[in-house]
Amino acid sequence: MTKKVFKSIMIVAGTVLIASLVIIMGCLYRYFSDVQVKQLEDEISLAAVAVEKNGQEYLEGLQSRGYRLTWVAENGDVIYDTQSDEESMENHADREEIQQALHSKEGKSLRYSTTLLEKTFYCARRLNDGSVLRISVSSVTVWVLVLGMIQPILIVIVVALILSGVLASRISKHIMEPLNSLDLEKPLENDTYEELAPLLNRINKQHRQIDMQLSELQRKNDEFAQITHGMTEGLVLLNENNVILNINPAALELFHTSHSCKGKDFLTVERSHDVSHAIQDAFSNGHSEIRMEREGKEYQLHINRIESNDAVIGAVVFAFDITEAAFAERNRREFTANVSHELKTPLQSIMGSAELMENGLVKSEDMARFVGHIRTEAGRLVTLIDDIIRLSQLDEGCDMPFEDVDLYEAATDVTAGLVDIAAAKDVEIIVTGGTVKIKSVRRLLTEIIFNLCDNAIKYNKDSGTVEVSINRQGNFAVISVKDSGIGIPPEHQARIFERFYRVDKSRSKESGGTGLGLSIVKHAVQYLNGKINLQSSPGEGTTIQIFLQENMNDAMQVS
Amino acid sequence: MRSRFDEQLATLNNELTQMGAMCEEAIAVASKSLTTGDMKLTDKVLSLDGEINRMERTIETLCLKLLLQQQPVARDLRQISAALKMITDMERIGTQAADIAEIITFLDGRTGEECEQIRFMADAASQMVTESIDAFVKQDVILAGAAIDRDDVVDDLFLQVKSSLIKLIAEKPTDGGYALDLLMIAKYFERIGDHAVNIAEWVVFSVTGEHKGAGL
Repeated sequence: MTKKVFKSIMIVAGTVLIASLVIIMGCLYRYFSDVQVKQLEDEISLAAVAVEKNGQEYLEGLQSRGYRLTWVAENGDVIYDTQSDEESMENHADREEIQQALHSKEGKSLRYSTTLLEKTFYCARRLNDGSVLRISVSSVTVWVLVLGMIQPILIVIVVALILSGVLASRISKHIMEPLNSLDLEKPLENDTYEELAPLLNRINKQHRQIDMQLSELQRKNDEFAQITHGMTEGLVLLNENNVILNINPAALELFHTSHSCKGKDFLTVERSHDVSHAIQDAFSNGHSEIRMEREGKEYQLHINRIESNDAVIGAVVFAFDITEAAFAERNRREFTANVSHELKTPLQSIMGSAELMENGLVKSEDMARFVGHIRTEAGRLVTLIDDIIRLSQLDEGCDMPFEDVDLYEAATDVTAGLVDIAAAKDVEIIVTGGTVKIKSVRRLLTEIIFNLCDNAIKYNKDSGTVEVSINRQGNFAVISVKDSGIGIPPEHQARIFERFYRVDKSRSKESGGTGLGLSIVKHAVQYLNGKINLQSSPGEGTTIQIFLQENMNDAMQVS
Repeated sequence: MRSRFDEQLATLNNELTQMGAMCEEAIAVASKSLTTGDMKLTDKVLSLDGEINRMERTIETLCLKLLLQQQPVARDLRQISAALKMITDMERIGTQAADIAEIITFLDGRTGEECEQIRFMADAASQMVTESIDAFVKQDVILAGAAIDRDDVVDDLFLQVKSSLIKLIAEKPTDGGYALDLLMIAKYFERIGDHAVNIAEWVVFSVTGEHKGAGL
């Protein structure tokens, strides 16, 4: 900046100097020349008069006052010269001014010396006798004048240089200092010269724009972080080189890594062959899915390629926990398989008996036994189908009427119906506790108590006991069915509420159960918003407690 | 030029990680095949071994190319030379897993129930490989140390397997061949453990510049 200012100042100074020099020299020099010429003319007319009157005497008596007078005869011979010896001078007839004077009484001419350093002005006049008187004066040329002024000019130039240097640095300092000390964070609060105002306004505007964009970006980032943070699904963003850009907490947990993995290759967190293969697959085909197992949980990974302007810019990996879904799927498959199996067994049996009868292979005295067999099996089938229907009703969650139910009464009703079966196994069944009235679905309660008691009798020892007790515990009505039976091994306890699950698969036929009883209990209790508690030790017996909210309405509100 | 070198180094790291993952899978599948007696799995081990061998060639070529073309120094040189050493160990692990798979086919579906320690060995060796590969991926010297320490466990287990197999032969001489097969498997697991230790040691070298406690 300083250089530029210095240059411009120098250019201005130089131009002004040269221009004024030229103009002044030109004007003054011309003026002085003119004055000289006039003086010369006056001088010659005076001299001419004097010479005509006095002749050579005048010239001889004349003290040269800077002029040179030359008297030339008509033929050009010099008669007298005030500065030189006339004998030695050559003929002047061919001189321009003499010729002019001979012709027209007066003549003028200007001649430069050979070095151009001096110029001589001549003025000539014809006298009455035909001779010519010439006067001349020499003066230096304009160049000599200029040359003579070189020293002061140089001084002026040096002064100009110094001055412009100082000025330039001061001006540029003046310009730059406020610029350098600008507070760009708060552009409008600066105290500077007004030319900067548009710039500052513009900066201010851009500041606001940037701030807005930043906060928008921050907001979006926060939103994204919030969403991904709260997700139970794992989410990983990869760039086109398989490097992790973003990973949410769920994924961090899934892959057992920390936030430091950002910016590293995905291989460093998950190097399993299948997964890296799936990712490559997604990069080339756009999408891939893979299941993977981690610590007993099953995950499904969805990998999608991200494209922008037809270029692959990365991939997103989504990990779902499908443990439950996979479990449910397996359950469903098992259920279907079990249902068909359970339905088929009695039907096969019926068909076998019927075929024997059809072919007349059954003696008439055995006929009753076979028909009885068919009836029992058909009965089994009906019970099974009834159970399935009940289960599916509970699954559907269809509305059932809520009414006041006395649990004690319900329990005694159920046990009364089971006395015969109990007696057949020599099992004593008793109901203890007192009246507990709750608002509930009578049919479901009967179902729960029946199934629990039925199991308690079926899986009891000979001459064992089954105790059904009804009481209150805090806000809950508790139905407790305790038996002295064979108990359930711990490894089976978690699964006995599954459909068709049996602890001892070989005994199913013998005990005649459908394998759906506890499943129905579980669903019924769920429908009534209750809880089941199971305590069992093999060989000692099982206690199943059902906790029910006393007032269903409260329960509804709570849930 | 330099950024290209960094890129190549990253590729080398990725390929090594992948190869390590394959080794982990090979030994995991081999031990699963042993414990479940699932013969179908042995084929998978064999195909993995083939792939590991191919991978070794690729990485070897890449390492030599890097050494020749980039003439690395200091840490980069350590990393590449350590990689060259590690792939040899990884290749051995793959081959030994394949050997185990081959012996399993001779067991006629028996799963080594008579000798519980061999299952512990399979688990421990498998974990050692995982740990050493983990140590490589994370460039974690402490993890590498853990893998190296675990070798003692595997060695102890091998001695236990040996003595319990001696007992087995004494009790049931007809099972002699079976017991020998199990011994071979145990030996291979023990060898795999040693290779895992080697890998861990090279990881330590590539990070600290010290191999087995001494500068190279």
